[in-house]
Amino acid sequence: MLKSLNLQDLRQKTFAAIDHRVRIITAGLGIDELRAVMRGDPPTEKPNPRYKVHTTSFLFHIRPRYYELGSTIFTHTWRLGFFTAFFFFVELFTGLILMVYYTPSPEKAYDSIIDLLTNVPYGQLLRDIHRFGAEAMVIFTVLHMLRTYLTGSYKKDRSFTWLTGVVLLGITMLLSFSGYLLPWDQLAYWAVTVGTSMVEAAPLIGNQLNLLLRGSQDIAADGLLRFYLLHVVLLPFAAILVISIHYYKVSREHSISLPANIEEDDISPEKKRAAKSRIDLIPDLLTHEVFLVSLGLLLVVLAVTVFNYRAPLESVANPQVTPLDTKAPWYFWWLQGMLKLGDKILMGLVIPGVLALLLIGLPYIDRNPYRSMYKRPVAVAIGVLAVLTLVVLSYMGLPQFGIESDAATRIIQDMAPEEGVGPLRQVPFDQLVAGSYEVDVTPSVDMCPTLSYGCPQFEEVFQFYGNYVDDMVARGRLAADNQAFIIIEDWQQNLKKITMRILWLNEEGTTSTYERHIFLHAERGSE
Amino acid sequence: MSKISFQIFLGALFILATGAIILIYGLNEEHRMAVQSAAMHGRAIEQGAALFEQQCSRCHGIQGTGIPGLCPPLNDRAFFDKRLQEVNWSGSMEDYIVATVSSGRLSSTRPQTFPGQGTPAMPSFSDRFGGPLREDQIRNLAAFIMNWEETAETVTVPEPPSEPAAGTKIIGTDITQTLPAGDAAAGEKLTSTLGCVACHIASNVGPAWRATGSEPGIGSLAAQLIHDPNYTGHATTPEQYLVESIVDPNVFVVPGFSSGIMPGNYATSLTDQDVADLVAYLLTLK
Repeated sequence: MLKSLNLQDLRQKTFAAIDHRVRIITAGLGIDELRAVMRGDPPTEKPNPRYKVHTTSFLFHIRPRYYELGSTIFTHTWRLGFFTAFFFFVELFTGLILMVYYTPSPEKAYDSIIDLLTNVPYGQLLRDIHRFGAEAMVIFTVLHMLRTYLTGSYKKDRSFTWLTGVVLLGITMLLSFSGYLLPWDQLAYWAVTVGTSMVEAAPLIGNQLNLLLRGSQDIAADGLLRFYLLHVVLLPFAAILVISIHYYKVSREHSISLPANIEEDDISPEKKRAAKSRIDLIPDLLTHEVFLVSLGLLLVVLAVTVFNYRAPLESVANPQVTPLDTKAPWYFWWLQGMLKLGDKILMGLVIPGVLALLLIGLPYIDRNPYRSMYKRPVAVAIGVLAVLTLVVLSYMGLPQFGIESDAATRIIQDMAPEEGVGPLRQVPFDQLVAGSYEVDVTPSVDMCPTLSYGCPQFEEVFQFYGNYVDDMVARGRLAADNQAFIIIEDWQQNLKKITMRILWLNEEGTTSTYERHIFLHAERGSE
Repeated sequence: MSKISFQIFLGALFILATGAIILIYGLNEEHRMAVQSAAMHGRAIEQGAALFEQQCSRCHGIQGTGIPGLCPPLNDRAFFDKRLQEVNWSGSMEDYIVATVSSGRLSSTRPQTFPGQGTPAMPSFSDRFGGPLREDQIRNLAAFIMNWEETAETVTVPEPPSEPAAGTKIIGTDITQTLPAGDAAAGEKLTSTLGCVACHIASNVGPAWRATGSEPGIGSLAAQLIHDPNYTGHATTPEQYLVESIVDPNVFVVPGFSSGIMPGNYATSLTDQDVADLVAYLLTLK
């Protein structure tokens, strides 16, 4: 018995047994091979076991075996497609956890967000990351598309991939937009009400489509549930399907395009060969991807902690109260800008529809065989023009543009907005000493003699108020004959009532008044 | 260092940094959640304050001190300390407020002192029972009312006189009777003990007594209104108009105001001397 126990033999057998198990788990890589992979050494066996993984493992069979060196140059791809996918996974992951705390009904939705913020450790972090990821995904999708356009990578073999990309742009925007409604606050409710009202403008089927989407004439319980299901089931499934097709085309069929100069310019055969040399997935590309993921995670976490990115939450949705400034999410400002230029059908449906068709048809419309930017000046000019148009249209979509509200309303809305913070709310609670203060009558120095440290912030805000009123008078929007007040009353324990009131002599020669009452609680400042 | 090991090294560093940030962030989570809860509570109180002003103040008073003969005080020590025992309520104070606001009151529990505005004594406010408010708004209202708990002082409710003083009598509803000589100073004092000022001076729930830029004072207004074609009362002099407004308030309501808000029990609780004093005071407000 003892004789048969040869130590060397045992070691070999154990090693072989472990190696066998490792090969099963890694779909073909032995221990030595794994070690070589981690060290960046060449393959230890022949044929290259790192390629075998691509046929035996499901997760690796959808990955490319290699990319050509030229196509991985950073300034060619900028890793934009990678980061779009990265943010999609960030959204999937955080979204799944957020689903645990969310109830899609008008009575509960807003409360569940409050609960998430006040009662769930890391709840706010998750919500902020989810929101940040959504915006980042839109940005990266658009940038990725722009890059593909400028490098002419949508041509020839890649035209279908471009088409799936356009579909993904649509899905990304719909995902973002459908998630917008879920917190059920004023911001969400009115942005989505404005957004879906465009559907209603469609001829013939508009009303039916609107009903299908909203569940009733106005967004209510049914509409919320529909948007929720769109957001967590239909659209993610659609996205996963189309992303898979999009990626499969890249990884298995035509790969990432080479920079145009390598394909088209007259460069030496050595350089060409070098550009076409292979970079294997294992280990080079994979290492790079893991590196990018860790970089991305760090940046996301920095954004929501150190750089203080916050997902906004306004007061609960109220169908009876239309906020003064309704605003679509920024990636739809261009559409809002267009709507200010013409009627709903033309600007909200026809032109965006034509634009979408143009984008889809781009590879078939653009017959220029070259990919280099220098050889397609018209295409590049159109691209640059399109971006500039989008920026200008987005600017026109801002609520400040083209909608001139009454001066007194504007001043008070900017001083103490219905939602959000505004200058008045930023004044420390104890500096708001009860009293009546009138612009140009009350001196804006030493306004709070009862406070030993004075009230510098309140004085600043009061001066701002006075300057704003003077500015409106100077611009001719407010009559020079006016009175502007801030009246502060101690209302309750830790609660003050502030009345902002502006009286002015209107054109009929009588006095008009606009006033707003704001209640301020001591604990709100920290929000 | 090869490109691969460099990326592994840097990537590991990034992961560690991310982990460290999340850890440090996590240490502050308890505090952050407490601050957020306080902020949300503050937000609820702010919104409750605005709702109270719109929905409740005209009956319960701007500062919640109640209006004698109409609605009970809420900003009141006794409300927070004794009310639950009085009505044998087993739940919490906040639930009591939410339940009352939601479903209202068909009949008053204290019809002698606070009859409310008839039937129902208090309307239901929840949108489930045909009222204007959503559940979360009612919760906010309750948060605002509960915020009075620590500072509430005892509100003394004027007792209806059981025996009128010698030489005076309960006024009744006859507006043509001859009143004793009125004392404007005593009348002014009465307007604050009776709580009239809450609606007629401090807010615009009732017609303003004091003259403003465009509107005359109540003394002049009374003289104008009796000649108004829409006037539905029976007074022929400003004095009678004022007496009528006190003892029989719903026979005519000044346009722009709602009926049923002015307490209806003054005819049985005030003496003719009280009313004479009040009228004398009101007539000085031109």
